[in-house]
Amino acid sequence: MSVLICAIVFWIAAIALNSFIAARWPERRWARYFVPALFGVTLLVLWEGIVRGFGVSQVILPAPSLIAERFAASTGVLWIDFRQTILKGALSGYIMGCAAAFVVAVLVDRSRFLERGLMPVGNFLAALPIVGIAPIFVMWFGFDWQSKAAVVIVTVFFPVLVNMVAGLKATDPLQRDLMRTYGASYMQTLVKMRLPAALPFLFNGLKIATTLALIGAIVAEFFGSPTRGMGFRISTAVGQLDMALVWSEITVAALAGTGFYGLIALVEKGLTFWHPSQRG
Amino acid sequence: MKNWMMGAALAALATASPAFAADVTLQLKWVTQAQFAGYYVARDKGFYDDEGIDVDILAGGPDISPTQVMAGGGADVTVDWMPSALAAREKGLPLVNIAQPFKSSGMMLTCLKESGITSPEDFKGKTLGVWFGGNEYPFLSWMSTLGIPTDGSEGGVTVLKQGFNVDPLLQKQAACISTMTYNEYWQIIDAGISPDDLVTFKYEDEGVATLEDGLYVLEDNLKDPAFKEKMVKFVRASMKGWKWAEENPDEAAEIVLDNDMTGAQTEEHQKRMMAEVAKLTAGSNGALDPADYDRTVEVLMNGGSDPVITKKPEGAYTLEITNEALE
Repeated sequence: MSVLICAIVFWIAAIALNSFIAARWPERRWARYFVPALFGVTLLVLWEGIVRGFGVSQVILPAPSLIAERFAASTGVLWIDFRQTILKGALSGYIMGCAAAFVVAVLVDRSRFLERGLMPVGNFLAALPIVGIAPIFVMWFGFDWQSKAAVVIVTVFFPVLVNMVAGLKATDPLQRDLMRTYGASYMQTLVKMRLPAALPFLFNGLKIATTLALIGAIVAEFFGSPTRGMGFRISTAVGQLDMALVWSEITVAALAGTGFYGLIALVEKGLTFWHPSQRG
Repeated sequence: MKNWMMGAALAALATASPAFAADVTLQLKWVTQAQFAGYYVARDKGFYDDEGIDVDILAGGPDISPTQVMAGGGADVTVDWMPSALAAREKGLPLVNIAQPFKSSGMMLTCLKESGITSPEDFKGKTLGVWFGGNEYPFLSWMSTLGIPTDGSEGGVTVLKQGFNVDPLLQKQAACISTMTYNEYWQIIDAGISPDDLVTFKYEDEGVATLEDGLYVLEDNLKDPAFKEKMVKFVRASMKGWKWAEENPDEAAEIVLDNDMTGAQTEEHQKRMMAEVAKLTAGSNGALDPADYDRTVEVLMNGGSDPVITKKPEGAYTLEITNEALE
């Protein structure tokens, strides 16, 4: 119980310190990072305190210290799984899916006929449940990462397509008329005016797709996989009651997801600096 | 708002814990099928009522790990395979075997004849489908007994995580897949492959059989005399159910079908399964034979570099319950 009391004391002290810093140096750069970081640490300390204080079985919820220990001990396995699931499955599927959606969006924008034919198909793809398509793709593309990439392509395709189509409609007739008076061709108008105008929409879709890609790749591994990969490890470690390893994999997935999203957001910042939403 | 939230929370609690309603909650290892006929028969034929206990049977499934349900206090007793139970015991979940209705193992590897496999020596370099989630232990032990690496290294086998279907064999994605004599083997036959085109390796015949479908409870609960008494009644009635199912396999299959809420099972498949399961339960009166237990432990300890269990388990089974139940 003393562990729990220590954790609660730490919590109260952390709240006091954070309130003090927020009141005293609200504009300081270090304070902006320190306050949320301390909040995160406090959550972990409380978790540790509650699990140890109440004697919660490690099979139900392992303490963060145990997870950290397991994480450090199994970095080799975690790296193999990360490569299999994130780099091979999710990333390749993400690139292919987003590229395909981009091309289809431009085609759809060009022709009313394609729009009426392809948009419902895209919508149909988006409505397919992963648990339904994953086993089928395993049959078609085998057990390795190719079938996971296929699942990812299907999951990321639609959000990027919808956003991109909306983005290509983002310029108003006055701007388009102006390009006409300059004598610009369709391609010139597209590259110089309409694609840049569509970028905020495109990145919106790309950001949504990052998390979808990770979830798709991990869940798809539940339905047949070689003996590596994050989804494989999570589903089998549960059967072996190795919860610390499950949580280590979840940590990797969370870090990878945050990093991936951050990377896309960073690229967006660089490319759409002119957009009102980027004024901070 | 607050009242509404409280109501919702209470409702969730009420639905989440049937354990309050019944005397005994049994967590099955898998979905409702003839593999568990004995328990459904005991309930429907009133054997549990005769003992004065009310039994709640929870079906399992591919995403349900019996050991985890036990750890979370979701059931009093579970049907599990001994390798998985002993591994859980070593991980700090003290499961104890109180009865062993299955005498023999129904597990086997089924291979396509065209893959050229005639003996276990031929596995090298081939792709094999294996179930995970606690069911991989017998396979891993067998491979290390044979000295065949399973980590993808030279001269070893490539292991696929097989879903709970027989597609990898039908698609020829694997040379062999895991099957149970009473279930998946027949799914292959139903898919139109003739038994002549198949080669099967029963774990029993290979001398690496481990005990399946025993009844396990948490060690701490056995300290409570009231709980023990409940278990004695439960085991006695369950074994009555099993013996009745062995003698009346077709009727037992019907009872299973009546209990299958999913409607996924067919009559033909369940009757065949019951006939096969009866072969495995024959020869057990419910009491665990320590010799079988010792053999299972020995197979698991033979895990070579990566044994399933690292030390001989202590107190992993008790004969007290069956001794009293079968007097």
